[in-house]
Amino acid sequence: MTIDPQPEAVPVAGGPGAAFPAAPEGVSPDRSPWYLAYKRFVRNRLAVSFLGLFVLIVIFVLAAPIWADNVAHTGPNESHTLQKLRVGDEVREVVTPEGRPIGPQWFEAGGKFFLGADSRLGRDEMVRLMYGGRTSLFIGVVSGLITTLVAVVLGLLAGYYRGWVDAVIARILDVLWSLPVLLFGIALGVSLAVSGLQIGPLTIEGGSNWIPIFVISIFTVPYVARPIRGEVLALGEKEFVEAAVAQGAGPLRVMFGEILPNLASTIIVFFTLNIANNMLFEAALSFLGAGVQPPNSSWGTMISVGEELLTTQPLLAIIPGVMIMLTVLSLNIVGDGLRDALDPRSKVRLEAHAGMVEPEGASV
Amino acid sequence: MKKIVLTFLVVALAAVGVIGLSSCGGSGNDTTGGGSSSGSGTTAEGGESEGEEGGILKATYASFPDYMDPQLSYTAEGWTAMGEVYIPLLTYKHASGAEGAEVVPGLAKELPKISNGEKTYTLFLRPGLKYSDGKPVKASDFLYAVERMFKVNSGGSVFYTSIVGAEQFAKTKQGGIPGIKTNDKTGEIQITLVEPRGTFENELALMFVAPVPQGTPNEDLSANPPPGTGPYMLVNVKPGQGWEYERNPEWAKANSKAMPEYPTGHIDGAEVDVIRNPQTQVNDIEQGKYDWMQNPVPAARYTEVKDKYEGSQFIVRDTISTYYFWMKTDRAPFDDQKVREAVNYAVDPAALERIYSGQLKGTQQILPPGMPGYSKFELYPHDMAKAKELIKEANPSDMNITVWTDTESPNNEAGEYYDGVLKELGFNTTLKIINADNYFTVIGNQSTPDLDTGWSDWFQDYPHPNDFFQPLLAGESILQTNNGNFANFDNPAFNKEISKLRAEQLGPEQESAYESMDEEIMKEAPWAPYGTRTLDTFVADNIELESIIYSPTFFEYLTSFEFKE
Amino acid sequence: MVRFIVRRLIGMVIVLFVVSVLVFLIFNVIPNSPPAQRLAGKNATPTLVKSIEEEWGFDESLPEQYVTMMKKVFTNELISYSPRVSVEDRIKEGIPATLSLAIGAGLIWLFWGMVLGYIAAVRAGGWLDKFLTGFAIAGVSIPVFLIGPVLIYFLTYKIELLPNAGYVPLTEDPWGWFKHLILPWTTIAILSIGFYSRVLRSNMLDSMNEDYVRTARAKGLSERQVMLRHVLRNSLIPIITLFGLDFGATIAGTALITETIFSYEGVGYYAAESIAKLELPPIMGVTLYGAFFVVAINACVDIAYAYLDPRVRLGTSAA
Repeated sequence: MTIDPQPEAVPVAGGPGAAFPAAPEGVSPDRSPWYLAYKRFVRNRLAVSFLGLFVLIVIFVLAAPIWADNVAHTGPNESHTLQKLRVGDEVREVVTPEGRPIGPQWFEAGGKFFLGADSRLGRDEMVRLMYGGRTSLFIGVVSGLITTLVAVVLGLLAGYYRGWVDAVIARILDVLWSLPVLLFGIALGVSLAVSGLQIGPLTIEGGSNWIPIFVISIFTVPYVARPIRGEVLALGEKEFVEAAVAQGAGPLRVMFGEILPNLASTIIVFFTLNIANNMLFEAALSFLGAGVQPPNSSWGTMISVGEELLTTQPLLAIIPGVMIMLTVLSLNIVGDGLRDALDPRSKVRLEAHAGMVEPEGASV
Repeated sequence: MKKIVLTFLVVALAAVGVIGLSSCGGSGNDTTGGGSSSGSGTTAEGGESEGEEGGILKATYASFPDYMDPQLSYTAEGWTAMGEVYIPLLTYKHASGAEGAEVVPGLAKELPKISNGEKTYTLFLRPGLKYSDGKPVKASDFLYAVERMFKVNSGGSVFYTSIVGAEQFAKTKQGGIPGIKTNDKTGEIQITLVEPRGTFENELALMFVAPVPQGTPNEDLSANPPPGTGPYMLVNVKPGQGWEYERNPEWAKANSKAMPEYPTGHIDGAEVDVIRNPQTQVNDIEQGKYDWMQNPVPAARYTEVKDKYEGSQFIVRDTISTYYFWMKTDRAPFDDQKVREAVNYAVDPAALERIYSGQLKGTQQILPPGMPGYSKFELYPHDMAKAKELIKEANPSDMNITVWTDTESPNNEAGEYYDGVLKELGFNTTLKIINADNYFTVIGNQSTPDLDTGWSDWFQDYPHPNDFFQPLLAGESILQTNNGNFANFDNPAFNKEISKLRAEQLGPEQESAYESMDEEIMKEAPWAPYGTRTLDTFVADNIELESIIYSPTFFEYLTSFEFKE
Repeated sequence: MVRFIVRRLIGMVIVLFVVSVLVFLIFNVIPNSPPAQRLAGKNATPTLVKSIEEEWGFDESLPEQYVTMMKKVFTNELISYSPRVSVEDRIKEGIPATLSLAIGAGLIWLFWGMVLGYIAAVRAGGWLDKFLTGFAIAGVSIPVFLIGPVLIYFLTYKIELLPNAGYVPLTEDPWGWFKHLILPWTTIAILSIGFYSRVLRSNMLDSMNEDYVRTARAKGLSERQVMLRHVLRNSLIPIITLFGLDFGATIAGTALITETIFSYEGVGYYAAESIAKLELPPIMGVTLYGAFFVVAINACVDIAYAYLDPRVRLGTSAA
């Protein structure tokens, strides 16, 4: 693995077909590049297994209402402070008079309070874990979509038009990239949590999940946009682009018809890794109180709540953390695998690095 | 294949291991909070102060006081820290509990003579008093202190605007305060009020108007506090980090002779460090690194500390405080009394007691136990069915409400509980949790949108019932910003009663009038009060627990600390 | 070369300016809690609020307030609203703690990353190599605030091996300083050790196939000498640039979370505290400090890189 030493230089996929070198054994090289990539991916057993894990996690959180209604018989935000559980002959308090929440019951109470109660409000931790996961995944994926979309547009514009358009966009990206992201993320998240956001006709309430989505998207755009811009710049020099322009294709045709398809593999990889990155970022923000606001919960807020009770019920902090870790891990491995499958020669190496996707080379 | 298996194994083992290890036996049977305790734990029986004189107390606060300046500080930390450094003209009796609510002479010879239709207060300064820098205390220093308080824009100004000319002075900062006349030769101080005010003696006992030498700069002096008159003086103040106390040399020389009833204090001094993490503070006390922590034991350690140390190093303290949920009475749906009654039936103090880990005693009244004028009544025993019925009868038009609370645990959980209760009653709620430092500013601003209902608390400024009724429930206290009457409760009959009772000196007649007003207002239910908070005193095992005096206004008195033999 | 440096420096100034404006706007334009009202407290009167506004200058126009604040930043007069302490003093006090944390952690992850990466490259394909790959990806996927509490729970509570919070200055008590730092260092280092070892490993593996290595071998140097003198040296250059970026990011970000978890009173802790309180002066101070660090380190890295890369040094390519 190499970090390309030259600033700004991005070796990249060439024109159609050139991205994908020799087909894997047993597959005819006449097949489409996508099929070849698919085959390559499937042979990467590590990536496939973690893709499976990711799918399991998604199913787990999607099953939240099923568990809530049929097994736990409670919602994620319902508090049961004064409730008592009947387990066999024993009667257990969900929250003791001293404020200690009950520990994991596993299946003893028929699945209720499987992982115990969270905090003194006596809510079902398992149900909250599932619903919280939905929030975390939702925020991660949606902000990933927004980021990728914006990054692609910016990258295409900058790389195609070059000149002053490129200069302006590049400068903006540079400045955004140089900001201490976490500090700003928290500052913006905390302020907006109180006041909500109003851009023109669009109003977002202070406690809505769209605020963290907005904050996360803004700050991760540069990490995706800069490499894409670099690729578009390099692609723009290729003959097939010149040819299209000579044929009279307008800017939109060239950008979206010629360049974009060649970015496809990069975009796919980035999108996957970006989701992982966003989930970590959201968890960090929520942990510090600047992301998801109560009573909504995400895995990040659950860790924050659990940390207070660390000495009495450590599971409350550890389990959501492990869930985040497994999800992000799966996405990272799958992203790695996608990159290997789609572009094995690529020297562009990226990983979601605890909140910072690696830029290739160092430069502003 | 090997790579997958290995990776999976590593990850799975780690995850399972962590979960497994932490779920065995993690449910708090370990009472070792962390830190080897110094193994003593035997206490002097009977708690007579047989302690030794002298020693330097090592204390810790979780946050530095808002100001280390007598005219400015308006928090518990500040009042505990400076309460015995700056003695006002009047002070409180050095006793715990109800006895400690009695106002007694401080720098003044006697309690004031009240005349002129109860509008003029006359006091005489004791002769021979000196500040810790040796300067003599003059009667005109009192006037200087009051003017300084207005000039530095102190939060306590509101208590003194009833002095003739004070209102104008607060606005213009010029022209002096004609309502205060002093005579340095005789030591006479004469204060004239605009109207009778029964709470004024209590207000004279607050540090806001403790005399300071003339020439003390009119700006926040937290980094270098002015000299005081009490048994101890502040030295080495490092704002944000800590400070120290030493014996005031002028106390032994002059002031203690002039004020014989005021205690001299056992310890020779103290060193205070700000340690922001309460868990660390608890560990430090257990290990004997520090002798006393000013802030209460955090909820996470409360049960453990109580079980282990109650009676020897730990004692639970009642406070005069009310925790409540306010409801905006001037807009739907809470403008309907039935709805507000329903909320009172629905909120269950017993549940909230658990949410506060037992650091709360349930009550559904405006005045808390311990406040003169308190007498128990029960209007709203918990009854969810009845509550729902009332809502049905009332059939409010607007079922969309926003619920407010702050981030400080367990208040945020109380807010979430309240949110759940309102949902159960059928409301469509949005919960907003605001950072504790900004919370009161946000809900006190009438232009904040969607202020429907939310959490609040109130700790007494001094033990007089007016301190609860006027700032929180009187029509005159409804302000556009920095509002304290969150319910926007404006009932002319009660407003009149509040003003009337405020003008009278507090006696049994007034107390019973306050009792009935409490119950009458709760019938209209602008609030759903749910409890009163208990705090605590936690000391290391080398401190005499029993001799510590816990004032309702100043909490632990520094002069009452002593080391064991 | 000089032109390059000058351009980078100008870029730095621009970024800091933009940062200051953004922070100022965030806390003044987004309606939350006006500081005058907050300072006035729970029992205020309108007169009091107005007086406070005049005292602090909140009644001036926004651009005027911005200029006043920036002047205060440069003259060391920035004061937080409550308690009224000098922001710059607090930051200065916190810097030793944060630097102890960041530099220590950085050195740890760099050292172990290099050692493990070297071994993995030399024994490519062995079990260590595979383990490191897993460890690397896992490290990059674990949130800091999971590692922290886990370490706290096991090593300070279940087994009372280490203190669970706080900072002890090195000058006061070296052993205490070290004890308090072990867990925070580990928390931060775990994230990156695996990653760095992988970077070094692949750099070295790529270099090992280069021509100059074959030449060295042909010259008769021992495998060890080849590895150390040629392969390792050349593989380190990109690592240095990576480390620079990561170090800057640690100071500006990861340190904040770690300090919060461990109640470790450095600049990050102060930052988190001030942001939660929406106090503009400390936030401005801390953000400028953080941005400065990030930008300065990036600039140094770029300059160092430009120096090392002869093409830039000799001015043959536009940087």
